[in-house]
Amino acid sequence: MQHPDQGRFATSVLPHLDAAYNLARWLVRDDHDAQDVVQDALVRALRHFDGFRGGDPRPWLLAIVRNSAWAWLGARRPGDVDVHDDELDAALVDGAPPSDPETLAIRRAERLQIDAAIAALPIAFREAVVLRELEEMSYRDIARITGVPIGTVMSRLSRGRHLLAAALRPAASDSRTMA
Amino acid sequence: MNDDDLWLDALLDDELDAAASLALQRRLAAEPALQRRLDERRALREAVRGQATRHAAPDALRAQLTAMLEPPASEPAQAPSRASAARARSPLRARLARPWAGALVGASVATLCTLLVVDPAALGWHRGQTVASQQTAEASEAVSAHTRALLVDHPIEVASSDQHTVRPWLSARLNFVPPVVDLAPQGYPLLGARRDVLSGETAAALVYRHGAHVISVFVKPAAADAGEATRVVRGFNVIERTQGGLAFCFVSDANPRELRALADLVTPLAGQ
Repeated sequence: MQHPDQGRFATSVLPHLDAAYNLARWLVRDDHDAQDVVQDALVRALRHFDGFRGGDPRPWLLAIVRNSAWAWLGARRPGDVDVHDDELDAALVDGAPPSDPETLAIRRAERLQIDAAIAALPIAFREAVVLRELEEMSYRDIARITGVPIGTVMSRLSRGRHLLAAALRPAASDSRTMA
Repeated sequence: MNDDDLWLDALLDDELDAAASLALQRRLAAEPALQRRLDERRALREAVRGQATRHAAPDALRAQLTAMLEPPASEPAQAPSRASAARARSPLRARLARPWAGALVGASVATLCTLLVVDPAALGWHRGQTVASQQTAEASEAVSAHTRALLVDHPIEVASSDQHTVRPWLSARLNFVPPVVDLAPQGYPLLGARRDVLSGETAAALVYRHGAHVISVFVKPAAADAGEATRVVRGFNVIERTQGGLAFCFVSDANPRELRALADLVTPLAGQ
């Protein structure tokens, strides 16, 4: 039995499969697990597609993928999604004003370094950074996808970028460990 | 990091309106340290966008999902090898072929958990329209006033935590007297106040801080007792309440519980 909406679903949702997989992959940090999450998400998306009327299907799909990933992690790796804003605050390093050599170091950072720095972010920061930098979602879409107010999106994004900058700043982190 | 980073990020992300962007550009011209922060943020953004891996969906996954959406009758003729490969790889193909009847039955326990936890209706997507229609123009205006004040980074005309400074300042400029009280001991320090205009009427805007959140409290004479309403407008929580002949509107990205705690402290003072 084929649902009559299946054709419409295929044309509106499948073009965003890479975005869906990219988000899932960055959230669960494993190729195989990310495929499971995307499969789950697509089943849900298809089941609820009749409730989706127009608009941009990409944030709609990414919201389902995001929630599937959190539920998947919650069931298997609860430590990954056990986030409290207080603990997120504690993850922050001091914000010394950047120097030109540090900016240069960030500019020269390589793919492996950058991927590792993103992967090491707490999940709430990581999803904001991935949705903004890789999927180029607006603050409003990120707020809808992640289910938090825009102000929270702004501060998570900012903190996430701050942690990335700190991780990619070799000169600064060296001098800090020396001191 | 500090609050400046929020505005620098918003500038790079093209999320500032023209006025806010101009205000920030002026500061950047005057503050080399701020300009260095912006340069670093821009370098980071270029590095991440240019270098970070964008994971493409694996071919196997794409084949499974594509096969699932092909009409079942024509499928064997069109792509027999791919369909059978997908079937061999995962029971998903069978699960998805009949999404309406089969998905739940074939789902693993884990998927069931997902189904129970994740309901797109809970994302607010479909309710968005209903909620939007409930929002009064005024709540929307209050949120605009709040965000506008935050974005230009000048939310305050009279900056003081001293209620004996703020209250006379407002009284001299308004034809009503809003309650002004510093609530620092309760975790809501008063930052100051300004005048704002809501629905064409001048309102007092008291600005409080709670943790990392800025809270705007708009106060003006109440036309009628409108009772209380709690809304979410464009991602901000809004509590409206009428008391002592004054209409209060609390706006913040602080959570509703924290916002209500402030409302419960402020509104009983109306008319005193």
